[in-house]
Amino acid sequence: MANGTADIAAPILQLSNLSMTFESAHVTVVALQDIGIRIGRGEFVTVVGPSGCGKSTLFNILAGLAEPDAGAEIRYHGETKRALELLGQVAFMPQRDLLLPWRRVVDNAILPLQVEGMPRAAALKRAEPLFGEFGLSGFERHYPQQLSGGMRQRVALMRTFLFERDLTLLDEPFGALDALTRSLMQRWLLEVWQKHQRTILFITHDVEEAIFLGDRVLVMTARPGRIKLVLEVPLARPRPSSMLTSPEFIALKRQVLAAIEEESVKSFQQTAAD
Amino acid sequence: MRTGFGAQLAALAGILMLWEVGVRAFGLGSHVMPTASAVFRDLWANPELMARGIVRTMTETLLGFAIGAAIGFGFGSAFAVSRAFERLLFPLFVLSQAIPVIAFGALVVMWLGNGIWSKVAIATYLTAFPVTVNTCRGMQSVDPQRLALLRSFGAGGWTIFWRLRVPFALPSIAAALKLGISLGLIGAIVGEWFGDTVGLGILLLQAMYNENLPRLWALILVCGAIGIFIYALFEAIERRWIFWKQEI
Amino acid sequence: MRGHVYSVAGPLGVFALWELVVRAFGVPVYVLPAPSAIAKKVVADSALMLDGLAMTLMEATVGYAVGATLALAIAIAFILWPRLERVGLPALVALNSVPVVAFAPVALLWFGSGPGSKIALVTIAVGFAVFVNAHQGLRSVDESAANLLRSFGAGPLRQMAMLRIPAALPAIMNGLRVAVVRSMIVAIVAEMLAAFKGLGATIFESTQQIDFLRAWAAIAVASAASMAWYGVVNWIDRRYVFWR
Repeated sequence: MANGTADIAAPILQLSNLSMTFESAHVTVVALQDIGIRIGRGEFVTVVGPSGCGKSTLFNILAGLAEPDAGAEIRYHGETKRALELLGQVAFMPQRDLLLPWRRVVDNAILPLQVEGMPRAAALKRAEPLFGEFGLSGFERHYPQQLSGGMRQRVALMRTFLFERDLTLLDEPFGALDALTRSLMQRWLLEVWQKHQRTILFITHDVEEAIFLGDRVLVMTARPGRIKLVLEVPLARPRPSSMLTSPEFIALKRQVLAAIEEESVKSFQQTAAD
Repeated sequence: MRTGFGAQLAALAGILMLWEVGVRAFGLGSHVMPTASAVFRDLWANPELMARGIVRTMTETLLGFAIGAAIGFGFGSAFAVSRAFERLLFPLFVLSQAIPVIAFGALVVMWLGNGIWSKVAIATYLTAFPVTVNTCRGMQSVDPQRLALLRSFGAGGWTIFWRLRVPFALPSIAAALKLGISLGLIGAIVGEWFGDTVGLGILLLQAMYNENLPRLWALILVCGAIGIFIYALFEAIERRWIFWKQEI
Repeated sequence: MRGHVYSVAGPLGVFALWELVVRAFGVPVYVLPAPSAIAKKVVADSALMLDGLAMTLMEATVGYAVGATLALAIAIAFILWPRLERVGLPALVALNSVPVVAFAPVALLWFGSGPGSKIALVTIAVGFAVFVNAHQGLRSVDESAANLLRSFGAGPLRQMAMLRIPAALPAIMNGLRVAVVRSMIVAIVAEMLAAFKGLGATIFESTQQIDFLRAWAAIAVASAASMAWYGVVNWIDRRYVFWR
């Protein structure tokens, strides 16, 4: 299926005909073209693609930070919306943790709640039970500068989870971590997801991570970004790490790699020519 | 501040128009606020006077600036390269900045006479400190990884200095030079107050004693124009030669 | 501890050298007095010095407070209302190009020879120094962080309070520090032109009366006060803006 739709009843998010063009004085760049996606409640959908394929642009649109070209159809909870109306409706975690260095860990975590207007005491109560789960017990009163990269990502994730919204966007949250930390974080994220029942859209450039984590994998093309392949991942949950070397997993991996390889070469040539 | 030369001139023009209209509308006496046209008439009426004053003051400023910048670069480099030197002399520099050097003006004039050199001395003093600090900080901001890389190529002390430390320091040196020249101008003007016969400072003083408000405002305009011009010049040079500011 | 020893050793060394040179070469008082002589004069004329210090300090601190407050208010306003900035910023930059001292005669004519004119001048000088830094700091906030807050639904006021102002504090403190020394200098310079009381007036009169020792004494007092004030601001910076 080349347009990202699957048979999903009552999807939370439906996109069709979504394109994004950037115009500047010298060049016109088509970042996204004719994107169509359906995401069901509670799904964990991963997005893979070569660099520059527009994954982050897509997330900016879904977070309400950018407006796609005219003609895009966005339906959130069944209602048609303009992208900008999604601002504040989606829990968005960008690539960098963006923790504020003058706020302690706990204050960084409750930041979105305070923006919503919740008084500090109530926000603290909301956050308290999650510290253990997110592996931050004992570090609540530390400053971000005192934490390791993995811990900072967990603070950022906790911040994202505390912002209770129906859709959560995670943009390569584990990209900057070493392989060992990354696999620990992946398993931990799946536990958190199952416990809190959120709907997650997850960007990664790591094919294994995409298959390991996702119910479905969306493979994007090089610029202009389109959905090239939608792969169902029928592997049973919970998924142990031994699954990574199982024949089913490897078969899925082969499919995704074949799709991506072509696009990666295209993207590499594009950036060389830019 | 990133406003262009053109925008500043336009803003100036806007202020002038507002000024003219405002003074006439409120009927302010010329001893309170002269009209813009009165100020300009004064400017056009005495071009030679203004020109002589400008040349004198700018000479003092530029000389002081050049010497101060050279001293600043020298000391700053020395501080960056030698920790001991820095620890010993740097606090002295900081201390010297808290001293209102302007207060020394009378004494400087007494030491160096009424002529051009006392003003140059003041301008030098005012420029040297910012340039020293920024040169030193800029050179110290070289990241250790780049340093290690050059060393792995077999680079010695002088090579590292000229090829790495100086380029790294240039953006902050540029900032200090901009500050230095405006301080130098102030130093020259105030220095003239302590004893001289020519210069913008003297013209200001005379206009004050004669309660000649149009002249005072004309001088303010002239000083402002000089300030804008110098700043724009420095910005242009910076943009052309130090274009990598963002990367650091 | 060792660092502190060095920082005291340098200046002390210079003072010691100074004293030695003056004594050794018999340098006359009207060229360069010895530090010990200056210190003695300060004590001898302490009433006059304190009187002048009180006035100068008052002018400098009042002007500082007013100037800094105005500068911060305008910088914040410029961020919240970009149209205001488009008109106001070039105007401010143009005004900033005029050396503050050029305004001194006008201030004196308008506000007289009393403290008012000095306060006005200090306000302008401090205002510009703080504004330039505050504006730069507020503007150069990480856009991704601002976007993140926007994605939480934060409006411009919340973004200002939660992000821009804290992020700009190092820059603002920088401006506040630079402004301290400027305020003392501007107050003193203005007093030298025309004033009834104050350290600048004392310095000027002393040079007129050829009492150079007293001029030096006044300069010493002004410097000490300047350094103390600067030290306070520096301490506040280090204590409260710790995350730099």
